[in-house]
Amino acid sequence: MSGLFTQLLTGGFGARLVYLDPGSGSYLIQILIAALLGGAFAIKAFWKQISGFFASLFGKKKDDNLDDQPK
Amino acid sequence: MTNPNKLSSSFRDPSGFMFRRDGRLYRQVNVHYQAEYDRLVQSGLLEKLVQAGLLVFAPVVEVKPADASTAYKVLQPEELPLISYPYEWSFTQYKDAALATLQIQKRAYEAGFALKDASTYNMQFHHDRPVFIDTLSFETYREGEPWVAYRQFCQHFLAPLALMSLVDIRLSQLMRVYIDGIPLDLAAKLLPGSSKMNLGLAAHIHAHAAAQVRYADDPVAKKDIRGKMGRNAFLGLLDSLESTVRGLTLKTVKTEWAEYYNATNYTDTSLAEKGKLVESMLVRVKPASVWDLGANNAYFSRIAASRGIFTAAFDIDPLAVEAAYLQMKEKKEQNLLPLVLDLANPSPAIGWHHAERDSFLQRGPADCVMALALIHHLAISNNVPLGALASFFADAGKTLIIEFVPKGDSQVDRLLSTREDIFPDYNIQGFEQAFKEQFKILEAQPIAGTKRTLYLMERK
Repeated sequence: MSGLFTQLLTGGFGARLVYLDPGSGSYLIQILIAALLGGAFAIKAFWKQISGFFASLFGKKKDDNLDDQPK
Repeated sequence: MTNPNKLSSSFRDPSGFMFRRDGRLYRQVNVHYQAEYDRLVQSGLLEKLVQAGLLVFAPVVEVKPADASTAYKVLQPEELPLISYPYEWSFTQYKDAALATLQIQKRAYEAGFALKDASTYNMQFHHDRPVFIDTLSFETYREGEPWVAYRQFCQHFLAPLALMSLVDIRLSQLMRVYIDGIPLDLAAKLLPGSSKMNLGLAAHIHAHAAAQVRYADDPVAKKDIRGKMGRNAFLGLLDSLESTVRGLTLKTVKTEWAEYYNATNYTDTSLAEKGKLVESMLVRVKPASVWDLGANNAYFSRIAASRGIFTAAFDIDPLAVEAAYLQMKEKKEQNLLPLVLDLANPSPAIGWHHAERDSFLQRGPADCVMALALIHHLAISNNVPLGALASFFADAGKTLIIEFVPKGDSQVDRLLSTREDIFPDYNIQGFEQAFKEQFKILEAQPIAGTKRTLYLMERK
């Protein structure tokens, strides 16, 4: 993973006009971004649980992360 | 051999295809998708998505398949009154379609599935909300794998929304050129430098585009990426996409039409009078569908929609369409669909063999076309001869409610003030003569307080 990170940062992404491979770059960057975001998401989810617990203690309706409709 | 009933919009997916028989729309599920389909049904995911209004209802029916050699089952999806495309959506429509796609992916993930594509063409508008129409787009998710549709989501949704929000709302029209979404290297070039300060756009557009270029000739084996995406990473990615989309807003820019009703020469009384005439004509022809062309913020479209008639309100101005959509959403109006359309260059048929996405006219005809306060813009501003206008309207609808706006009307005079009057036939006699070639005139009603006349016509 760190190799990928280094490569992405230092790989010299010049303006090469090439046919874009649909998979590789997207997959790799996705894994990298997701790895960075995963930690933050875990903290956010944990915090939601804590605040949900306290909210339920005070009788507030629990926040549903899977809301159905775009706001 | 090509099946004549098979619809060309769904030829890429080996899981199944759409076909039409006796006027009804069906989806054949192929044996190729049998195991996935059974798992999907057993998981309860499809049912939950339908209940949540996120997926179109598509029950299994006992109907002869279109291609028995590959068939597993036949579904009959609820048919939508009009299929629309991303280059016809206003900003918030587009944004709502993106957020609904992410909601569906989140729910699919929790049920052990993933969307295998995140194409805008799988989202449609039904009643007052976006709905997913492709029941066969789900696949079993293998723990630890990246989201296979991530690239497509960024190209189909995130890039157009970012460009509409940060550069110009009209850039949604790039989707007309790029059927598989806006290439990310192009989006990265067009976006302002400040977009790199937005963490979501920096990652999902700029770094993503750079990675695509970097690895274009450097394929990565599937086995090398397996097991790399943990649960928090996957949900974190979806959460980041969602917050990035939510964070994109529309800068309010005044366009030509957005303030139209404040700038017309209609008094409140004349406007009400025109509304009454439109309503009486609708009552007379009882259409099942109306296309209101040049609808602005859908003021008159609502007269039809409120009578339970499905009404598509087309306008060239994306901000007028945005206003119409926001009002529709707020009031939960069920029969209205505001869409962006330039009548001088309407949506063409695009894609493979010119047949993946239908042109504007291929999606018709509507039972009734309304063309209110429109003809002078087409005839005078766009130099379209009256006969050509009549032909177009006859292709678009079976009946026509059309307002003739003569010279001497302040709006026409305004259009003529900056150019030479090369329209000697643009008068009520010339108009009637040209339209009688295509239509039978059923009614001609002067609109009180104006110089205009409202016509009801029926296609010959």
